[in-house]
Amino acid sequence: MSRRPCAVVGVGQTHHKSRRLDVSFGGLVREAVFRALDDAHMTMADIEAVVLGKAPDLFEGVMKPELYLSDALGAVGKPMFRVHTAGSVGGTTAIVAASHVEVGKHRTVLAVAFEKQSEGNAQFALGSGRGASLGAGGAFAPFIRAYIQRSGAPEHIGWKVAVKDRRNALKNPYAHLQIEDISIEKVKASPMMWEPIRFLESCPSSDGACAVVLTDEAGGLAAAADGRPPAWVLGASSRSEPPSFPGRDPVRPAAAVQCAADVYAQAGITDPRRQIDTAELYVPFSWYEPIWLEAFGLADEGEGWRLVDDGTTELGGTLPINPSGGVLSTNPIGASGLLRFAEAANQVRGAAGEHQVDGAKLAIGMAYGANNQYFSTWAVGSSPDPLR
Amino acid sequence: MTRFVESTITFPYKRSLGPLVGAFMTALTERRILGVRHGDQVLVPPMEWDPATGAELAHDLVEVGPAGTVESWTWVPSPSAQHPLRHAFAFALIRLDGATTPLLHAVDAGSPSSLDVGTRVAPRWRGSRVGRIDDIVCFVPGEAPEVEGEDAGPAEEPVTRMDYLASITYTNPVPPATDRAVAATLERRLVGLGCPHCGRVYAGGRGHCPIDAVELGPDCEVELPQTGTVTNFSIVTPVQYPGQTETEPFVRAFVLLDGTDVVLPYSPVVDLPADQVRVGQRVEAVWAASADEGEQGGMGGAWGALAGWRPTGEPDVDDPDLVNRIF
Amino acid sequence: MADAADSLVEVAVVGWAHTPMVRHTDRSETELLMEAITAALDPLGLTRADVDFTCLGSCDYITGQAFSFVSNLDAIGAWPPKRDSHVEMDGAWALYEAWLRLQEGDIEIAVVTGSGRSSTGDPALIYPMEMDPYFLAPLGADPLTFAALQARAVIAAGIADERSMAEVAVRSRGRGDVDALLAEDYLRRPLRRHDVPPITDGAAAMVLATGPRARRLTARPAFIAGLDHRTECHYPAFRRLDDSPSTRLAAAAAGLGNGPVEVAELQAAFTHEELLLRHVLRLGDGVTVNPSGGALAANPIMATGLCRIGFAADHVAGGGNRALAHATSGPCLQQNLVCVLEHRS
Repeated sequence: MSRRPCAVVGVGQTHHKSRRLDVSFGGLVREAVFRALDDAHMTMADIEAVVLGKAPDLFEGVMKPELYLSDALGAVGKPMFRVHTAGSVGGTTAIVAASHVEVGKHRTVLAVAFEKQSEGNAQFALGSGRGASLGAGGAFAPFIRAYIQRSGAPEHIGWKVAVKDRRNALKNPYAHLQIEDISIEKVKASPMMWEPIRFLESCPSSDGACAVVLTDEAGGLAAAADGRPPAWVLGASSRSEPPSFPGRDPVRPAAAVQCAADVYAQAGITDPRRQIDTAELYVPFSWYEPIWLEAFGLADEGEGWRLVDDGTTELGGTLPINPSGGVLSTNPIGASGLLRFAEAANQVRGAAGEHQVDGAKLAIGMAYGANNQYFSTWAVGSSPDPLR
Repeated sequence: MTRFVESTITFPYKRSLGPLVGAFMTALTERRILGVRHGDQVLVPPMEWDPATGAELAHDLVEVGPAGTVESWTWVPSPSAQHPLRHAFAFALIRLDGATTPLLHAVDAGSPSSLDVGTRVAPRWRGSRVGRIDDIVCFVPGEAPEVEGEDAGPAEEPVTRMDYLASITYTNPVPPATDRAVAATLERRLVGLGCPHCGRVYAGGRGHCPIDAVELGPDCEVELPQTGTVTNFSIVTPVQYPGQTETEPFVRAFVLLDGTDVVLPYSPVVDLPADQVRVGQRVEAVWAASADEGEQGGMGGAWGALAGWRPTGEPDVDDPDLVNRIF
Repeated sequence: MADAADSLVEVAVVGWAHTPMVRHTDRSETELLMEAITAALDPLGLTRADVDFTCLGSCDYITGQAFSFVSNLDAIGAWPPKRDSHVEMDGAWALYEAWLRLQEGDIEIAVVTGSGRSSTGDPALIYPMEMDPYFLAPLGADPLTFAALQARAVIAAGIADERSMAEVAVRSRGRGDVDALLAEDYLRRPLRRHDVPPITDGAAAMVLATGPRARRLTARPAFIAGLDHRTECHYPAFRRLDDSPSTRLAAAAAGLGNGPVEVAELQAAFTHEELLLRHVLRLGDGVTVNPSGGALAANPIMATGLCRIGFAADHVAGGGNRALAHATSGPCLQQNLVCVLEHRS
C-alpha cells in the first residue's frame, strides 16, 4: 500500500434553506468555502487542487458548472475536477480529494459540493423533464415496504427517526429544517406522500453547499499542534452495482455491504457496532436509518429498527446516528453526501458544537445514490489509530 | 432503417442573482451598465471575485459606457433560436468606455463589411426591461443608444432573480432490441431476451445482460407470459412542475410474470384505484392500439403498446417473500 | 506541490479500444461502452472480473437525460459490485481519477471510459448552457462563436493564419486542397467549414495497470510518466485568447520538458487550436502531431480527449519512446490536461 496519511483540517457549510435567494451560484459555494478555509486557517492560495461534486446538471440548468465556478473557487491555475456519482456524489467528492493527498499528488485539496434546488425543480430533473416523475420517494417506497415486511418492524420506527433527526437539527444552526414542535403525532398526521412514506418522514429540497479542506500528514500534525484537532482519514471506499436484474436486492445491496467491509478493513474496524462512536448515514427517508444500520453492519440483519426503538441511535444513545439532523433535515442533494463526510469529521475533531457526541474518536460518513446502487463511505478518527 | 424519437427537455429556471449581479441587472432596467472596480481595473461584466485569484472584491460599482469600441468580432450568418437577433449579426467583444475588459454581446451591423476592430457601438435597449443581459437587445454602430419600442422605464423593485428558459430537443435513435420489443407489443406480444450465459431474462427492450455485460441479439428472444402477480408498488403523490402530466396519486406496480424470474418494475396499472393495489394481487397485461404514449396509446418508449396491468380478480397469492421481488 | 517522483506505483496504459466513429449510431451509449470495454479487455486476456476499478466519463446534457451514466453501469459488469466512479468530464479525466486510485497501491487494474452521442442534439443549443449563467448563456453564446473569437486572437498574434489552419485541416483529414478550402465561404469568420470538428458518436475504453502487472499483460506498456490538468478563469473575454497558460502549467507539472516526444495527440477540435497548442507546448517540426487525424477527423464528445491518450499510447506500444496527449474542456480551451506516456524497459 502506498497510501499516505490524509487529514481533514477545515470544514464549512452554508446556512441551508429552501431558497437561498440572496446569493448567486458563486456566492453560495463561496460561503461554504470561506468557512472551511477559515476553519483550516488557510486562504485560497494554500489550496493546490479543487474537486467539485454535484448531482445532475438538470437541477440548475448549468452544464458542467465547474467551468463557470473555476474562478469563484480560486481554482485558476490549478486542477479543477468534477465528479458525479448520483446521490453518493458528495461522498465521492471527498474520497477523490483524499486520493490526491494519499498518493502525494497534492498537499492540500479542497472538496466542494453544492446544489441550488430552488433554481429548478427536483422532480422535473429526476424525471428528465417527462411527466409522471416518480421522484425519489416513489422510487424508494417499495424498498421500504420490503424492509418493513422482512424485519417485522412496527410502523412507529419511521416516525421515531423523523422526530430524532429533526430534534438533532435544532442543535445544528446550519440545518435547513428547524421544526421546534416536531413530535410523533405531527409526523403521523402529515400527509402520506409515497406510501408508507409520510411528508415529515421525507427530506426537504435545499439550497446549500459544503466544503472540506484535506491535507497531508505534516498539515494535520501542524493543525493538531496549533490546538485545532484534525480528523484522520482511516479508510475510504466506493462501490456500485447495476440498476436492475432478476434477483437484485436493493434493501440490503451487496454494494453497500462490500463498501462497508472495505472501509472497516482499511480502518481496522472489527466490531463496527461497538468501535464506531457515531455515524452520519445518508437517510433521505426515515426508514433508511434501520436499512443502512443493517447493511453497514451496525446492527444484525433484521435488528436495525430495534436500535431506533430503544434509543441507541439518539444523541445520547450509545450509537448516535445523524447527530447533525442528517439528510432528513438538510438536503442540497449534491452536497448531502459531503455533509455526511464533513459532519463525521467534525465529530472526531470535537468541532460539532451543540450536536457533538461526547468523546467521539471514530466516526463514519456514508452516502448512497440512484436506486440504492452507488455507495461511498469513509471512516475518520481523532488520531491515525483511534482503536489502539 | 433506424427509427428516431424526439424528446425535448424544457425548463424555466429561475436564477437568484446575489447582490452584485442583481445590482448590474437592476441598473440595466435603468439603461445603465455597471462595472466593478478591481484596483485600477474596471471589470465588465462585474464579478463578485477576482477572476485570477478568487479573492472577494469590494462591490465598488461604477457606471461604464454606454458606448464602446469593438475589440474583436465574428459574423453569425445564421442565428440559432437562442441568439439575440433573428437575422445575421456579429458577436463582438466590446470594451465599453471606462471598462478595462470587454463584454461579449451582439452587434446588429447589417453586414460584416460595416464592422471592424475599433468600430464604435452603442446599446439598443429593449423597451420593456426585466433585468437580464438581453435587456440590451444588441449594440449598434455609432455613439447613440437606442430604445426599441416604447420605453417602459426602470424596474420598480431591485432585480433579485432572472428567468432562464432552457429548451433542448434530442433526436434519439431507437436501439434495435428496443425496436423489436415495441414491434412485438403491436402484436400484443410481450418479449424478453434471455442471456445465454446466466440464463436471466430481461424485458422492456433492454438489449444486454448487465451481469455478463453482453449484448443479446434477436436469437435470444423469448416469449413472456401476460399474466403475473404484484410484488410491490409505489403510490406517487404528484408534485407539480412544468411538463408534469399527473394531478392525482398514481400507482406504479412491480409485476412478477408467471412462471418466470422476470419482474417489470414501476409499471402503470389500469382500472386499479390507488387505494386498492396490494402485494399478491393477480394482474394481466392491457394492450393499446398504438405504441405511442398518450390518451389512446400505450406506455410508449420501450413498452410500446403495453398500456399497463389490470387486476384479473383471481384470489391473491399469499407468499411473504413476494414483496422482496422488486427487481 | 508534492514531488511526483515520490510515487512508488507505476501506472501504464496496457490497451484501449474505441467503437466505430460515426455521424449517427443506432446503438445506446450503454451498448457502445459494452463493445468498447470488451474490445479493450479481450486482447489482454482479461475479463471484467479482473477489473478492480472503473471510472466512466460522460455528460447528462449530451445524452439528454439526468443520471444518464447510471444505466452505463450495465456495461462494466458491476456484479459482483465494483469500486467505481463517474466524472461529468471527458474520459481523459476519468483516466486521471483512475491513475490516482491505482497509485494507492492496493489494486492493479482499472478501466476508464468516455462516451457520448453528440448527434442527438444541436451543439449550438446545448453548449451555451455551460457558459456563465447570467451574462453568456442567455445570449445563446455558442462554441463556434468562442472558437472564432479565439481564432482571431491567434491569427492576430501571428501564431496562425487562414492558410496554416486549412493545412491543419487537410493534414488531419487526409483529404482536401488548401486553395479550394480557402475559396469557401466563412461559417463563422475566420472559421470555415474545414476548421470545425465533425459531429461524432462514439465511445472509448482504456485499460490501466500498475507496473509489474502491466509488464506481464503486454510487451510494451505505455507508462504514464506525468499527468496533470489545470483550469483558467471562465469568462473568455477576461483571458488572453492567444495563449493557453493552463496548458503550459499542466505540461510543466506533467514533466513534458524532461525529454523529447515523437508524437503529440492534441484535442484540437478547431484548426487554430492545434496551432496555438503547438506554440504553447513548443512542439517543433520533429514532432508528429495528431497522426490519428485528431478531433478534426472524429470528435466523439466526452471521449475525444481519452482517444488522444489512446492514440499516444499506441505510439509507445508500437515501438515509440515518448508521446504527449492533451485533452481540453470549456470555451476557448478553458481547462487542459496533459499526459506524457513513455516506454520503460
